[in-house]
Amino acid sequence: MSPVESSPPASPTPAPAAPPTPAPVDMVDRSCRWPVMILVALATGWLVTAGILAVLAAVKLHAPGMLANYAWLTYGRVQPAAWNAFVFGFASLAGLAMALWMTARLSGAPLRGGGYIILGGFVWHAGVKLGLLGILAGETTGFEGLELPPFTVPILLAGYLLIAPWTLLTFARRARPESYISQWHLIAALLVFPWVFVAGHLAVSYLPLRGVLQAAAQAWYLQNLHVLWLGFLGLAAVFYFVPKITGAAVPSRSLALFGFWTLTVFGGLAGMTRYSGGPFPAWMTSLAVVAGVLTLFPVYAVAVNLGSALRGQAARVRGSVVLWFIVFAWLAFVAGGVLAAVNSLASVREITQFTLFTPGLDQLTVLGVCGMALQGALYFIVPRLLGVPWPAPLLARLHFFLAAAAVLVLAVAFLAGGVAQGLALNNPDLGFIQVVGRYLPFAATGTLAHLLWLGGAALFAVNLILALVVCGRRAAQPAVRALWTPAPTEVEA
Amino acid sequence: MKHGPLLFLGVLSTVLASWLGAVVAPHFQIGNEEPVPIDELGINYPLDRPGDAKQGARVYRAQGCNYCHTQQVRQEPLLADLFLTDPGTNTTALRAALAVARPDLVAADATALPDPLPSPLLSHVSFTLADQAMRRLTNAGARVELTPANVSADIRRGWGVRRTVARDYLRDQPVMLGQVRFGPDLANLGARQTNAMRLLLKLYNARIEMPGSPMPRYPYLFEERKLRPGRAPSPEALGGFGFNPPPGIEIVPRPEALQLVAYLLSLKADTLFYEAYMPGAKPAVIPAPAGDTNAPPAPGPTP
Repeated sequence: MSPVESSPPASPTPAPAAPPTPAPVDMVDRSCRWPVMILVALATGWLVTAGILAVLAAVKLHAPGMLANYAWLTYGRVQPAAWNAFVFGFASLAGLAMALWMTARLSGAPLRGGGYIILGGFVWHAGVKLGLLGILAGETTGFEGLELPPFTVPILLAGYLLIAPWTLLTFARRARPESYISQWHLIAALLVFPWVFVAGHLAVSYLPLRGVLQAAAQAWYLQNLHVLWLGFLGLAAVFYFVPKITGAAVPSRSLALFGFWTLTVFGGLAGMTRYSGGPFPAWMTSLAVVAGVLTLFPVYAVAVNLGSALRGQAARVRGSVVLWFIVFAWLAFVAGGVLAAVNSLASVREITQFTLFTPGLDQLTVLGVCGMALQGALYFIVPRLLGVPWPAPLLARLHFFLAAAAVLVLAVAFLAGGVAQGLALNNPDLGFIQVVGRYLPFAATGTLAHLLWLGGAALFAVNLILALVVCGRRAAQPAVRALWTPAPTEVEA
Repeated sequence: MKHGPLLFLGVLSTVLASWLGAVVAPHFQIGNEEPVPIDELGINYPLDRPGDAKQGARVYRAQGCNYCHTQQVRQEPLLADLFLTDPGTNTTALRAALAVARPDLVAADATALPDPLPSPLLSHVSFTLADQAMRRLTNAGARVELTPANVSADIRRGWGVRRTVARDYLRDQPVMLGQVRFGPDLANLGARQTNAMRLLLKLYNARIEMPGSPMPRYPYLFEERKLRPGRAPSPEALGGFGFNPPPGIEIVPRPEALQLVAYLLSLKADTLFYEAYMPGAKPAVIPAPAGDTNAPPAPGPTP
């Protein structure tokens, strides 16, 4: 098994004896090998690309003169390019890869549709690439989070439809009748994503709604993307790997069920917090405040349930890099959930609106929950698919510290900077250039955070390349040896 | 999974419900809004933007200006102050009206009327309540003055005279409200800044006028041309406001820069109508001279 794991993974619940018998684990992994690894490789490329773009955007925020002569590198293009590369390049591809593997494992059935999945992976990859080129060329839609040019939406959707249904089709042939908490989150995420993605783009590009309703649709889309796609992918990983690696089951299934449904219902409604006090009917933001505060229920459920699962497991957690990432993602989810609920209150929003607080909270979800959980999942999945341990386990540990530091620095700087910026904005005696002076040091700290994150991503990429080389060499050895060994007929002759 | 269909239908209906609640319901409420006729000005507000400004909105979008600039002015639910400026002659009617608006004043001493003038009657009450009291007192022959009590920081900064409402954006596609203010709000830029040259210089290099500004330079929206003897310099070339191009060179804005500036100058959300009423606010009919986004804040619309 993997060197990253100190102990062999234990199954969360023993498979029932009922027929049909679950396929052996190595057979399931063999069926996943090519499709999942290709998605992982593409995702890793995007992880590094997104990191480079994010560093560039962060630098440009406080050094506006840098590379200013290139239109395609202006802040207003690099910033959305970085976000889209991460969300649609890395998080979505890695999330799909994890969903395929996890479904196959939990169903006890080999993954079906390998060829379609590989094709879908490349179609999706091409769609993201075209979308990014479009953004850098200035062909964006003008809505944060929906920047992908309209023509790439059908390409991405086609890629998605080539990949995602195979989770459901594999699931339909499952050998284990019971459902797992992680599966609920995965299936919900996979069902919700195409609907949210298409509805969001329809409402702003293809059949644009009137006036500010476009922004209302955008807020709805962003909220659902954050909670029900990125958040649920992260939670699926957390709910899968914590019991898997510690060997201790999640204590309360009903609490998890309660958390799952409350998050599905309230999470998607809290979007208008983004535009509270904006040019909308007042009830829209009031609804978002109520929903935002009610999301404290699922946050509490996730905190308590996994908190008790992890109690007394310090030794297991210490020994597994995968769990480091997963536990960090869990903590980020709880912290981000509480902060988001507080931030939905009108009195708090009065200060934090239009400040660094908003991107800070978004990054805590995107990088802290989804990014960390998926990277942890990849550290578990890849060695099992390649059949070789991570060649440089030290790099994996270093990756965790860099990534965790990046998220912490980014969240603390942006959240604190947001409050400083908001207080200054609300004080009309300060000229705007003085407001700039208040937030700029915090914004500049973002550069450090993104550099740390990029460093971690690069270490992961190096580790993956080394693993692929080791795996490839091992696979090629018999063939190469056969090339140099004289054929028996020649010896006899 | 025993409850597979339940999960499937449950998740889909939840997302459908949030879509209905967050997008479709508002669509039925404000999706059919039309421009509102404003008789005094003889216009239908909001006005359609001129063609070059529409082109400029595309330049604005392509440069991603909305990642640093918002286009929305906030005003939390409006509170009002009410002052009595002239009690009039009909004391009985006034006392009856005051008995409703300020029962404590009349109850304390049946003969006393508020004195001296102007006398504060209501402070930090909801606008509707103050408006009702104003009507009642005016009908009693008194004169009163209603002023906003909680003018938001946005308005005191001079970023607008009133909050922005849904109708302001009827003609925009896309609507670029923005989420972060790394730069000032632009909802009323055209009302406070009317000098195209200053905006062009700001786009060329914001630090010329405002050292320390984090705004990116957009040199690619301009063209550097060598000045040749015998050829007249371009009338559009950048100049003034302390900007001196390198000798022998003129900086000429490309069409995109001119379109973007036309768009910025068209950004105005200061027309007052019933939906966006702000007592004491006056739209900037005569724009402030050389207003500047970074200038010290304009005095609020105080009485």
